[in-house]
Amino acid sequence: MKTKRMLLKSAAVILALTVAGPAAAQANKPIPVVATFSILGDMVERIGGEHVAVATLVGPDGDTHVYQPTPADARAVNKAKVLVVNGLEFEGWLDRLIDASNFNGMRVKATDGIEPIAFEEGDGHAKHDDDEKHKDHEKQDEHAKDDDHGAFDPHAWHSLSNAVVYVDNITATLSKADPSNAATYYMNRAAYVAEIEALDADIRAIVAKLPADRRTVVTSHDAFQYFGRDYGLTFLAPQGLSTEFAVSAKAIANLIEQIREQKIPAVFIENISDPRLLKQIANETRAAIGGTLYPGALSAPNGPARTYLRMMRHNATALARALGS
Amino acid sequence: MIAALAFKNLTLGYDRQAAVLDLKTEIAEGSLTAIIGPNGAGKSTLLKGVVGAIAPIKGQILLGALSREDVAYLPQQSEIDRTFPLTVTDLVAMGLWREIGPFGRIRRDHRAQIDTAISAVGLTGLERRLIGTLSGGQVQRALFARLLLQDARLVLLDEPFNSIDARTMADLLNVIQRWHGEGRTILTVLHDTETVRTHFPHTLMLARQLVAHGPTAQVLTAENQFRARQMCEACEGPPHRCGRSVA
Amino acid sequence: MIWDALLQPFADYGFMRRAILGSFAISVGATPVGVFLMLRRMSLTGDAMAHAILPGAAIGYLIAGLSLGAMTIGGLIAGMAVALLSGLVSRITALREDASLAAFYLISLALGVLIVSTRGSNVDLMHLLFGTVLALDDAALILLCSITSLSVLVLAALFRLLVLECADPQFLRSVSGLSAFAHFIFLMLVVLNLVGGFHALGTLMAVGIMILPAAAARFWATSVGSLVLVAVAVAMFSSLIGLLLSFHYSLPSGPAIILVAGVAYGISLLFGPSGGLIAQAMPRRHSEV
Repeated sequence: MKTKRMLLKSAAVILALTVAGPAAAQANKPIPVVATFSILGDMVERIGGEHVAVATLVGPDGDTHVYQPTPADARAVNKAKVLVVNGLEFEGWLDRLIDASNFNGMRVKATDGIEPIAFEEGDGHAKHDDDEKHKDHEKQDEHAKDDDHGAFDPHAWHSLSNAVVYVDNITATLSKADPSNAATYYMNRAAYVAEIEALDADIRAIVAKLPADRRTVVTSHDAFQYFGRDYGLTFLAPQGLSTEFAVSAKAIANLIEQIREQKIPAVFIENISDPRLLKQIANETRAAIGGTLYPGALSAPNGPARTYLRMMRHNATALARALGS
Repeated sequence: MIAALAFKNLTLGYDRQAAVLDLKTEIAEGSLTAIIGPNGAGKSTLLKGVVGAIAPIKGQILLGALSREDVAYLPQQSEIDRTFPLTVTDLVAMGLWREIGPFGRIRRDHRAQIDTAISAVGLTGLERRLIGTLSGGQVQRALFARLLLQDARLVLLDEPFNSIDARTMADLLNVIQRWHGEGRTILTVLHDTETVRTHFPHTLMLARQLVAHGPTAQVLTAENQFRARQMCEACEGPPHRCGRSVA
Repeated sequence: MIWDALLQPFADYGFMRRAILGSFAISVGATPVGVFLMLRRMSLTGDAMAHAILPGAAIGYLIAGLSLGAMTIGGLIAGMAVALLSGLVSRITALREDASLAAFYLISLALGVLIVSTRGSNVDLMHLLFGTVLALDDAALILLCSITSLSVLVLAALFRLLVLECADPQFLRSVSGLSAFAHFIFLMLVVLNLVGGFHALGTLMAVGIMILPAAAARFWATSVGSLVLVAVAVAMFSSLIGLLLSFHYSLPSGPAIILVAGVAYGISLLFGPSGGLIAQAMPRRHSEV
């Protein structure tokens, strides 16, 4: 009778192991996740750690607005268990890609739950409507159709409070897709959010030191509205002033006048747009060229904005330095 | 006889197909020679060979003491762009190339030469007209005027009287006579035997191979013409079959 | 009053002064080249060239990153290669210049897209490659003025050769061995003006200033020399009026300039004495000899 009980116990152990085994193995294999661009990719890596294998579609220094997916991207999406997108029509090419790749995993829209900023009439991504420069693109037509900007500004990640929402959404979906590691995900989330909030406090402190009349900036990419809303800075864009395609002389003249009158000290160049127009304005108003801002992508791994937090800190520091000087 | 031009066992053609086969003869300096023969006999090809547009497959063309600049050539089909904004004067002035090259200035005496050439071909009054507004005959006259200015020792004309009126042809024949009088060597491809008989003292009859070459009266016989036709018909096939004699 | 409207913008703003200087520079340098392009029936070369330069720019980007200088030089090399190759093919085979250029620029474009796609991160190279007249910095202005000076000198020197080469290439070949030389020098001038124009002013303006004034001038001038002069005048006039329209009425600058040139073309087409529509419809006053 001892033997029988021992046999039963062993059977139970073996059974438990058999059940738990694959689950354990499963818990060890990282789940494939696809993020649409580098900022989201970085966030997923922070939250998922070694439990996720992240593939990013639009890499560092890339321009998500005009990205053209490749067959390799379709394969990656097809294999993914989770797809992390920004939403607010940032990725105009995404629907086609999802159709083409037969994706049947979970999808998380990072911007779910944030308070979006609406584009004003006459404002917006004139830069990408720049027909003159896009003349040679066949995808110019797709562009106008998919409309890389809907009614709302998609660059929500420039607000750290929105970043927390992003992180929450990603954590929730990762946990749903991979429940066995949910505890880890939430732990990582907590640490990450603490860093985000610490950075937020730092930035507020930096901005507070700026005099009240030195809080307007000119950049050529209309991506920083959320940052401006959170920290009380105003961002002006040269092309943002025109309603349609290319820049008009009048728009530039108006902007120059504005800068001269308000004595705006700094003009910024980004890593993915034409710096020559900005230099032109800076020269004429004697404003300083304030360095590089990162509006929509992380920098290369050896650059100053290789993670999301570094990017935000870099942008804030660069802005403050130029405005404070 | 001083030879202005000598053909030594010359085979000329395109894509290895011989249009002129084993030609061996000489053109005397100062002679006025008509080149005649059936269609496809290689006449135009021969002129192109002389001017250097195609290289011989076999044999040689010897230009005696002449250099490329001493040769003037009027192709059968001028490739000149009639829509180009050129006046008659501009076109004729091209003939001065040998003297002034790409950079030389056109001086007053040049202008006089141009005017003389224009009147020699009967185009006086049309100096400022655009070539696009000229008739076929007028263009041909202008091209002759250009040839005049080129002042060449050797003049090659390929079917110069195609599709022009009789009056123009008569005037241009006068120009040719003038050249002959000046001691220039002239080779003209023609198909009208009457014109040849009346105006050209020498004839070279070609039917891929040489049929006959000499004074016109001797060359332009019914016999020779018959032989020429036979030779050309027999030469439908590849060249090496043309070795047979057709007598 | 009118004087204010015409001159004040240039007095007040440096960017307007640079814009007009750059526009005048390209009018003097590129427009005469465009006249010859038109006469040779190669007016679509500009658009073809805009595509052909891509692989060169892509390689420049691969080597030096987002350096406008490197990409423009790369584009220049690619453009030269395409132009010279197509010129060569058209000289030694039966294929004419337009077909051989089309073949090479398409190959070049496909190659360029391929090269760009291997890089992974999709940077919009074409966007960066093409400038705008309102953003002319010192480097771009110097580039434009240098190209213009070079073009003017070369065109003046080779004028007769080029005219002959366009009008009667057969004749030129029979009297001179310089035919090929003139042809290729001309092609290089075309590429230089185009790529420099793209870099400084964008494709629309570069190609537009080359072709439209030449087309307009055709209806006024009857010799090549006067064609060039009229075309340059039309180009400069269009630049001035276009920039002023852009300034006073908030119109995008490049398109405004080209549209003014387009209006000039339309007027010339209708009223030009040399082959214009109305001139053709009217009965001739004098009987010609």
